[in-house]
Amino acid sequence: MAEKPIQGEKRVFMTGNEVVAWAALAAKADIMYGYPITPQNEIMHYWTRMAPKYGKRFLQTEDELSAGFTTLGGVLAGRKAFTATAGPGNTLMQEPMSMAEMMRIPSVVVIQQRGGPSTATVIYSQQEVTMTTYGGNGEGFRIVYSTANHQELFDYTIKAFNTAWKYRFPTFVLGDGYQAKMRESLIIYDPEEKGVELVQTEPTLGREAVNGEKKPVHIRNTYNTEEELYEVVTRYMEEYMKYAPEIVEYREFDCEDADIVIVSHGVVSRAAKGAVQELRKEGLKVGYFRPVTLRPFPADQLKAVADNTMTLLLVESSLGQMAKLVKDAIFGSTVALATLFKPGVGITSEEIVAKVKGMF
Amino acid sequence: MFGGIPISERILEAYIGEYASGKSEVAVNRAISLQRKGREVTIADLDLVEPFYTLRPIKKMLEQMGIRVVAWETGETLGLGETGSIMKPEMRWVLKRPGDVILDIGYGVEGAKVLNLIEGAAEEKQLKVFVVINVGRPLTATINDIVEYVRDLAPVHGLINNSHLGDDTTLEFIQEGAGVVTEAAKTLGLPVTATYMERRFEAALGGKFDNMGNYVQFLDRYMANTFW
Repeated sequence: MAEKPIQGEKRVFMTGNEVVAWAALAAKADIMYGYPITPQNEIMHYWTRMAPKYGKRFLQTEDELSAGFTTLGGVLAGRKAFTATAGPGNTLMQEPMSMAEMMRIPSVVVIQQRGGPSTATVIYSQQEVTMTTYGGNGEGFRIVYSTANHQELFDYTIKAFNTAWKYRFPTFVLGDGYQAKMRESLIIYDPEEKGVELVQTEPTLGREAVNGEKKPVHIRNTYNTEEELYEVVTRYMEEYMKYAPEIVEYREFDCEDADIVIVSHGVVSRAAKGAVQELRKEGLKVGYFRPVTLRPFPADQLKAVADNTMTLLLVESSLGQMAKLVKDAIFGSTVALATLFKPGVGITSEEIVAKVKGMF
Repeated sequence: MFGGIPISERILEAYIGEYASGKSEVAVNRAISLQRKGREVTIADLDLVEPFYTLRPIKKMLEQMGIRVVAWETGETLGLGETGSIMKPEMRWVLKRPGDVILDIGYGVEGAKVLNLIEGAAEEKQLKVFVVINVGRPLTATINDIVEYVRDLAPVHGLINNSHLGDDTTLEFIQEGAGVVTEAAKTLGLPVTATYMERRFEAALGGKFDNMGNYVQFLDRYMANTFW
């Protein structure tokens, strides 16, 4: 068996999908379950290339329903398990992940968004925001990290395992086809050498007997009466609300005196960042706000920004899926809203700059 | 004579490597440099593994330079990325074309198997297969990893050090790569055909050789514009 996959830290150059595979290794994941779909395939390709060297496992299932449910099975058996998918695969994954919500199974799913609806394009979009945050029946008790670059794909994939197991809500890393395929340098590292504690997993089912006694375990996704369900969902909601403030992550800069604040997430926030820097150089008062967690959403933080500026410009590669989250978060604010929506198409900083200049 | 170049003097080269090793960039630069010497050149996109960062988006530009390009155009493809890329009939016969032929091959062992589909590839003694290595990729970062990787790819005629970190590349990193690739090549009993580096390092290098004595080729980056 080879030694640790990553010793110390190392600057490397690779595709986003490879980054995810390396991050899962660095996080000491035990097994990946998956079914191929572009643009996430190389996560599986690289995981399966590396897995045998490090005593890891892989199971290719017959579809994403199975991939999702087998991931849950792995977790229930105490394995640090994950899966990855995109587009219509994400659609199928909603049923197992809503079961994970109901049973509080700490699953990790990496999504590389592609164009929709249906198979549409294999290339790119931000059209899986609604589905990843609130898909499936239920209340969307999930955690969703929207990454913007390869370093974050690495960092947040590692973090996702810790978050999932700590709070026991299904956790998603939401990338996209651009991040999946593009090549970029980043630093990969052994998290434990950096002082990041990796969560210890434990089986939910099939535990060893203690002092000769084996307690029965019963986890449920089926309830008999409305009241019985209501009690459980209420408890989950309270826990979710309680933990949300410590889970929420966001980035902001130049908002204090801004007349317009650009709100974007994921890879689009790179264009927004470039645009804000350029517009500031020209003396225009423009700010930047980026939710990193789309669920739970940094609502209080964005509300504070909204109350202190004149306009929020919402920019995304979908027809307003992030915008719905924003509107919900800032309800009651009198800030004006402007939008730059390009469903399934990338957005450049030049386009954002032009849009903002047209607003002043 | 075959297309103005005696058959025995045709240059037939295949470039192979990992994702982001820079195999296509090296192949494109090689084709352009041959064309600039007045040679007749065909470059073929034989990456059937993944249809992004391929020659497709710069096909017209290369053709305008006078290079023949055997590659799909994006609009001609069906189910891009979903159903695999199929071979163009011209791809199968590409080695039978007059002049020099440069093959840009898909990644890894599976990608290399495309050579089994090319007429004449097995018999053509002039066909050289070069593996493009970037030590910035963790699976080909060490001597042992490179040796193992290249052994799986046989037959191979030489290694190319194309160590880089995209925009974050430094000359020091390239030289470090030269050391690792040269050691791996010794173990494999293969030559290091060249070290490739961006033209922006020309002044800092101050010569034609890297620190291991390998010949340096300067390249211009075209592939950054070829996403899908």
